[in-house]
Amino acid sequence: MGLYMFDRLFAGALLCLSGLIAWTAFHFEVPFQYEPLGPKAFPLILSAVLGFCSVWLLVKPSANKWAPTGAVLIKLLSGVALMTGYAFLFEKAGFIVSTAIVGTVFCILFGEKPVRAIMYSVILSVVSYFVMKHLLQLNVPIGMLFGG
Amino acid sequence: METLGFLATGFSVALAPMNLALVLIGCFVGTLIGSLPGIGPINGVAILLPLAYAMGFPPESALILLAGVYYGAEYGGRISSILLNVPGDAGAIMTTLDGYPLAQKGEGGRALALSAVASFVGSIGALILIVLFAPMLSDLALKFGPSEFVWLMTFAFTCLATMVGSRPLKTTIGVVIGLLLATVGVDSGTGFLRFTMDIPNFFDGVDFLVVVIGMFAISEVLVLLESWLRNDMKMTPVGKSFVSISDLLAVKWVVLRSTLIGFVIGVLPGTGASIGSAVAYGTEKRFAEGNDDQFGKGDIRGLAAPEAANNASAAGSMLPMLTLGIPGSGTTAILLGALLMFNITPGPLLFEQQPEIAWGLIASMFVGNLALLVMNLPLIGMFVRLLSIKQSYLVPIIVMLTFIGIYSIHGDSFDLYFMVVLGVFAFILRKLGFSLAPVILGLVLGEVLEDNLRRALSISGGDWGILFNGPITITLAIATLLALVGPFVMKTLKKR
Repeated sequence: MGLYMFDRLFAGALLCLSGLIAWTAFHFEVPFQYEPLGPKAFPLILSAVLGFCSVWLLVKPSANKWAPTGAVLIKLLSGVALMTGYAFLFEKAGFIVSTAIVGTVFCILFGEKPVRAIMYSVILSVVSYFVMKHLLQLNVPIGMLFGG
Repeated sequence: METLGFLATGFSVALAPMNLALVLIGCFVGTLIGSLPGIGPINGVAILLPLAYAMGFPPESALILLAGVYYGAEYGGRISSILLNVPGDAGAIMTTLDGYPLAQKGEGGRALALSAVASFVGSIGALILIVLFAPMLSDLALKFGPSEFVWLMTFAFTCLATMVGSRPLKTTIGVVIGLLLATVGVDSGTGFLRFTMDIPNFFDGVDFLVVVIGMFAISEVLVLLESWLRNDMKMTPVGKSFVSISDLLAVKWVVLRSTLIGFVIGVLPGTGASIGSAVAYGTEKRFAEGNDDQFGKGDIRGLAAPEAANNASAAGSMLPMLTLGIPGSGTTAILLGALLMFNITPGPLLFEQQPEIAWGLIASMFVGNLALLVMNLPLIGMFVRLLSIKQSYLVPIIVMLTFIGIYSIHGDSFDLYFMVVLGVFAFILRKLGFSLAPVILGLVLGEVLEDNLRRALSISGGDWGILFNGPITITLAIATLLALVGPFVMKTLKKR
């Protein structure tokens, strides 16, 4: 295992997925069908190809030296958490507030000092709001704080 | 002669004030994005696509803008390659080999100017070839029926699998994942809901924009986060040198040969700028045999070749996208997806029914490349200064633009969550050595492939023999077979 573990794990997951897809597609029943193939043939073919490829990958995985340190993993996880939080806040808190908060944390994650990070993100979010909303007329949520 | 008339129509579209402005903006933004290390053309186009869509441009204008970003980024990619030794994207990797040594010798200005001219010649040369071949290819494609299109796509995927990436197997898996994503949602033939998991947002299929942004932009943010710790780039000063006429004359054949190589490779489905520039560099090195000791140490031929080739293949990959509806690269796959969102199906009929879109785009690329040459010679200093923008300032902007772009399409937070999930998935794929372009190609072509397959089988009443009916299908089937076994045969022959 070791170096080949990542590929093997992924191939195993893909194999399960292809089985699941095949099983789901096999049970597609349509009341009316005017052509010989119908909705299930194409997914079934694809799941067969995927299944074949994942078995191949399982047997012949390639080496992978990816070994993130704890610090990097924490960084990655906080990045994911931050973006998920952004998705959560975007509509509820509105664009300006959510962008200012998330932008600040991202700045700090990339090594900026907190005071400068806050200043930059607040300016960025306010300026972008007016550019996006009024100049480009995009659908940008104002959020509850400002009565939206 | 007929072609000239169409080209004139195209220029009347491209030179309309708004489209002219969009070309210039696209090229400028593209150069900017391409020059920022780590953000290549594909990310640039992906980030700007939903914004262009949400702003409600007419299709030809949106396409002109996005294409401008694409080839603008091919110009910009060379700046960070030459000055930082960090390629903006895969297509600019070969540029670092001779570009960076030149900059270290204090000839950064010369390298930048020379590569700008090489890029320009590469693009314009490829565009002229497009103008010559597009009508021919679309005439041929008019004879294509469903089974021909099935083979054409199979051929495209085979080329992609055997020529791109380190492992054909992983590319194939990527394509299949993309094709499967395309089957989600209501089945156009029967109205049946497939793989929607009862989530209403999936009834219409997974949103192309969400997939593109999630897989490219969001995963890129994670990659930037991961690599930040060892990120201490030193910029080489540009210096005062500039390109001379004798430099240009010395590389004229190099540039023309590389343009041709880049164009052909760009046209081949799936193989984009990264392969074009690598092949051109290798060819020139062989051409210079006996006189090639400077290659890799700052030879201007080694700089001009990949730059002409990657721009030529960026332009060349537009040809199959417009005439056949088969993208020649990952970025053109996104452009194709953009067209589909505007309910425009690229393919042979595009040139007949909507010449203003096809020819307008081609004409705008002539205008844009001229603008890029102007921007990249005198204004180069400004782009260089932008290179030193800190990532801590850049990343919040990227994240913000992706979120605004996706949210403004449907105004639904679900898309934002789904985008982040896809970003994490794509990050894992990248770490496992998969490239993302095959997934996007599969996603874009999935529905067309299935429709054509089902149509072919309806015509034949279920007989699979229709796939081998007629000279075009058989030619394409043989081409697919060659693309499948060719690279392996070459490899075994080389080993002997």
